[in-house]
Amino acid sequence: MDTELLSDTFVDLADTMVAEFDVIDFLHMLTDRSVRLLGASAAGVVLADPRGELRLAAASSEQAELLELFQLQNDQGPCLECFRTGRPVTAGDLTGPAPQWPRFAEAAVRSGFRTVEALPMRLRDQVIGALNLFRAEPSPLEAADVRIAQALADVATIGLLHERNVRRRETVAEQLQAALNSRVIIEQAKGKLAERRSVDMDRAFTMLREYARNTNQRLTDVARDFVNGATAEFPPSARRQPQP
Amino acid sequence: MTDRRAVVVWGQVAAHAAAHGRRVSVADVCAVAVSSAQLSGAWLVAARGGDPDFVMYVTDPVGEQLAELQLMLGEGPCHDVLTSAAPVLAADLDDAEPGRRWPAFIPAARELGAGAVFAFPLIVGAIRAGVLGVYRGSPGPLPDRQLGDLLILADVATMMLLGSANGDHQDGDGAGLDGDGAGLDGQAPDLAVHRAEIDQATGMLTVQLDVPVAEAFARLRAYAYSQDRRLAEVAGDIVARRLRLHRDQGQDGGP
Repeated sequence: MDTELLSDTFVDLADTMVAEFDVIDFLHMLTDRSVRLLGASAAGVVLADPRGELRLAAASSEQAELLELFQLQNDQGPCLECFRTGRPVTAGDLTGPAPQWPRFAEAAVRSGFRTVEALPMRLRDQVIGALNLFRAEPSPLEAADVRIAQALADVATIGLLHERNVRRRETVAEQLQAALNSRVIIEQAKGKLAERRSVDMDRAFTMLREYARNTNQRLTDVARDFVNGATAEFPPSARRQPQP
Repeated sequence: MTDRRAVVVWGQVAAHAAAHGRRVSVADVCAVAVSSAQLSGAWLVAARGGDPDFVMYVTDPVGEQLAELQLMLGEGPCHDVLTSAAPVLAADLDDAEPGRRWPAFIPAARELGAGAVFAFPLIVGAIRAGVLGVYRGSPGPLPDRQLGDLLILADVATMMLLGSANGDHQDGDGAGLDGDGAGLDGQAPDLAVHRAEIDQATGMLTVQLDVPVAEAFARLRAYAYSQDRRLAEVAGDIVARRLRLHRDQGQDGGP
């Protein structure tokens, strides 16, 4: 564990909790840092909407294969179990005989992952989501790394609810819905930009994030303005005002 | 898990319409919202340009007054949910926070006899179609299951409002959709687990068809319906560039 990287990570995450805070951008950064800190191949944050559906909020990569792995976990897999039990779930060596979640294990192995972990995002008695880690090694995380991973999941929870009065149980539901809708806006923007510029979804996402950062705007706002804008021009012309 | 509950809720909406001998409409969504969550009444407000615009449907006179009041004051849960894309769950209108947020609306709402108000944005990402609002005479939170059902009903209402291919508002009473309603013609709308490809395909179609996002979404659903295919599958084909929709036809053009 690179301790300097570790402390830099938490400093970076704390720094983003300021003006122009965008929850999806924040969660994306968290998955990216999780990969680097824990030697993972991929990471994602799933959130449970009040209907009980596990929705992907951010992932370290936009590759379709990886996204499919999160999708599958609505039916079976470590995230679902983690969400239901509120406890960390580890599946070491998915290639082993009689895997616990056959369909999920098969898809994960096909994508090159051997181990998967899910850490709960908890707020008091409620589990609002999970941090999901995929690794190519067939062995589970060491105890110290599990603690780091749980700390990252806790930071994700704080980021989601920050600046809000979380004494109200309703606040959690409200914030979750807003975050999930932000994700939808960003997906709509990715599609529009990918089509306009003939780039893949990963590249489109990067372009949107870079533009938001360079213009000091929230990612969700940039995405919404682009989707609602009268043209598919990107970066948008400074003179033209997007539609509300 | 979600699929099953969504199917049950849709069944209640369809049954309500059938019992009244008419096609499903937002009237049935509102009625089921009230009865399933033991509330006093509901209203549905349509949006234009992302702001609350007009009252499309109400279940009772107090609901009507609560809805009209917000439009008149330019303040209230209806406005907040469209701005924040988050539901407003004001379980007790006597709390300090609602009074702070809506200083003009709250006293009037209390006078009308409302104790709790819950409002849900009818949105799909950047598409803002309207607001579903419900109220109860007595204060108190919504149990999780009822909250979940109201979110499902909000999704159903959203699909109804977005059903027409040209993106116009429905008739004044939000009456049942025609063939462009993408499956709401007596059949359950595609309430499957949410997939990112649907949103991505919607974005792609704004360029392919050169239309605003609400219409792109309506055309995507209309196409899936006309081909009798699941929305997620069609979206997957569009994202993988196996399928392209064309501006002039609005129908398939192949790769």
